[in-house]
Amino acid sequence: MMKKFLMNKMPQTLLVFVNILSMFLLYFYKERFDKSILISVILLVATIYISNYILLKISSGDHYLFLVVSMLSSIGIIMIYRLNPVYGFRQIIWFGVGIVFYFIFYFCVKRIKGWKKWLNGYFIISMILFVVTQVLGTKIKGATNWIRIGGIGIQPSEIIKIIFVFYLASYYTNYTKKANEKYKFLGVVYSYIAFLFIQRDLGTAMIFCFVFFIILYIYEEDRKLIYYQIIGGLIIGIVSSFLIHHVQVRFIAWFNPWEYIEKEGYQITQSLFAIGAGGFFGTGIGLGHPEFIPEVHTDFIFSAICEEMGIFGGIAVIMLFLILVYRGFKIALNQYDKFFKIVAIGITTTLGFQAFIIVGGVIKMIPLTGVTLPFVSYGGSSLVASFAALGILQVASEEIQMEQEEGDGYNS
Amino acid sequence: MFNFLSLIFRYIFIMMIYLFIFGIMRMIYLDISSMKAIIGNHPYLKLINRKDQLPFKVKEVYVLDKETTIGRKNGNEIVIKDPYISNDHVKFYVKEEGVFIEDIDSANGTCLNEERIIDMVMLRNGDRIKIGQVEFLYVDY
Repeated sequence: MMKKFLMNKMPQTLLVFVNILSMFLLYFYKERFDKSILISVILLVATIYISNYILLKISSGDHYLFLVVSMLSSIGIIMIYRLNPVYGFRQIIWFGVGIVFYFIFYFCVKRIKGWKKWLNGYFIISMILFVVTQVLGTKIKGATNWIRIGGIGIQPSEIIKIIFVFYLASYYTNYTKKANEKYKFLGVVYSYIAFLFIQRDLGTAMIFCFVFFIILYIYEEDRKLIYYQIIGGLIIGIVSSFLIHHVQVRFIAWFNPWEYIEKEGYQITQSLFAIGAGGFFGTGIGLGHPEFIPEVHTDFIFSAICEEMGIFGGIAVIMLFLILVYRGFKIALNQYDKFFKIVAIGITTTLGFQAFIIVGGVIKMIPLTGVTLPFVSYGGSSLVASFAALGILQVASEEIQMEQEEGDGYNS
Repeated sequence: MFNFLSLIFRYIFIMMIYLFIFGIMRMIYLDISSMKAIIGNHPYLKLINRKDQLPFKVKEVYVLDKETTIGRKNGNEIVIKDPYISNDHVKFYVKEEGVFIEDIDSANGTCLNEERIIDMVMLRNGDRIKIGQVEFLYVDY
């Protein structure tokens, strides 16, 4: 009995332990004895446990995804709370909202049939969102990708990411071999990327590009087209690194940040210092100085984790993402319905590349572009959109009831 | 106080996170190995076609029991909604001497290694069985 409990419930139990321990720790943080932490962690644990229980009851699909993601979110919340308790508390609320959206998307996508038919609908909705962002958007840190509605800032590109995946999936499910259809499709995809470029949201543009290449590589029958796209993308990347100032700065800060340490390279060098200061086991939560890095609670959360939980903590985060991506591909391989197969691949690659771009960025492996680390970084839109995407992935992990088209066109 | 706690907790945290990852991986591993355990010591049919090229549901692996029938009708042990498959199409017998296949008067017939079968035939490892649009590989245990 005990053994069975340990084996089957071990991840859930550990998750609860991590949260309770962190509550215990943060309660003593800076000798403030903050009462709100008790309530918030109890809420957090209850939310994770109850939603996990509900999920086991209602979903026949994959049950690891949610656990992995709750662990990632827990690590994120602990770190954000330690950096700024106000943000931490807000992040817990966003986590709750995210789970609500997770279930909403899960039920909507499952119940409503005909997602594969609304090719033009996806295009129109996302273009409206882009135009609204362009007109009403406020400029924050060089990127025009926020709109404010009633005091809450929303980042429409997070929603467009999901719609984009649906667009690609819907195109390849209804694929007919007409030439002008293909050019229209390419035009639409590049208009997405062009809009993101105009809004200076380079990280998201990169994610869109990668996801597009992956889906193209898997489903496009005209192989030459793929190589043209990749070569074209590379040329645009290289040219813009010389001509566009915004991109140029990133490349300068990437090649040699030490030379520009007081300006362009400040953020990245601070991040490297933080990772270096951590060592194997970290300085211990609350004992490091990750607050020296600008934007540490959003884009640079990974450096903060590396500093205070050590490189082992950082590797653990990467491993959790690996499991997530592995499960995502497994889901895509097992899915029978073509539309949901492509959606599963699209969502998995979106999450995976997003994690890769920002983790690679903060450790100076690739040029830094500001995207959030999914599920970990502070930010309502990002967390809610990631949970919504996870809900869709959960639907894709189940067997989809097909509309059986019996006896049309065949003999018998 | 806080400093002391934090220094201890850093090891505990990392240990727990890794145990968590280990737990998840173990569960995934058990999932995969239990799929193999189902097949166990039974002969089974393995799909040769690519799954996404068939416009109906079909599994990758079907385990053969003592008597297994394939057909389009819902009463069969293995139901495949292929319009080229008859309501009751083919029957497998697992006996002591070996595994036998018999066509039960299907409209489009059953092919064993490209040859249409008439009587009950004994199967050998690696035989290819074509039923409707679906092609299976017979695997002995």
